[in-house]
Amino acid sequence: MDTAQFIIGKFNYWVYIVLMMIGFYAMIAKRNLVKKVVGMNIFQTAIILFFISTSSKSGATIPIIQNAHGDAAGHAINVAQYANPLPHVLMLTAIVVMVSTFGVALALLIMVNRDYGTFEEDEIYETLEVLQLKK
Amino acid sequence: MKFFAFIVVLFTGALLIYGTVDMPNWGDPNSPPNSHVSPRYIEKTLEETATPNAVTSVLADYRGYDTLGETTVIFTAGVVCIMLLRRVK
Repeated sequence: MDTAQFIIGKFNYWVYIVLMMIGFYAMIAKRNLVKKVVGMNIFQTAIILFFISTSSKSGATIPIIQNAHGDAAGHAINVAQYANPLPHVLMLTAIVVMVSTFGVALALLIMVNRDYGTFEEDEIYETLEVLQLKK
Repeated sequence: MKFFAFIVVLFTGALLIYGTVDMPNWGDPNSPPNSHVSPRYIEKTLEETATPNAVTSVLADYRGYDTLGETTVIFTAGVVCIMLLRRVK
């Protein structure tokens, strides 16, 4: 019983860790630059999911105060009834940064592809070495 | 080289999974992120900002400077993309 509770309580973290490992492996092991950038995106997605999961409370609903206007307005607010709004807000900011870095990285990759005609790292190095020899 | 990368990734994952032993359980209402500052936002959002949606009130009211910085970031990213991708004739 205790073991089952432990696994259910921590399973969400393990899923995010596996996602993060996939992104990390893509970042450091792949030779294709586009795959590296997408790996970075997967990594960031894992961290965003982790933060969002800290905001959950069992039995709680979304953080919008119910019956805020009208007859029932002014009643006491039960904090345990609403999910934590703070991680959602912070991760909105993080998503914006993630999209911005992804867009700039892809624009840089388009420039690399214009100059070298490839996204593969080793082919770019070969071209660079040929250019060095010509000098 | 790929084998070495795989070892590094596995080591990082093992360290993080070891770290989850001390993390609060899924859906724990008394976990540290749910217990210190965030109840105040839920309690005071109607009274102070007249907005029932706590996420909106925190995003646009309590932490408006953060949102201003966020728009600066995405504006800068857009300008950089245009500067990189335009063709100079």
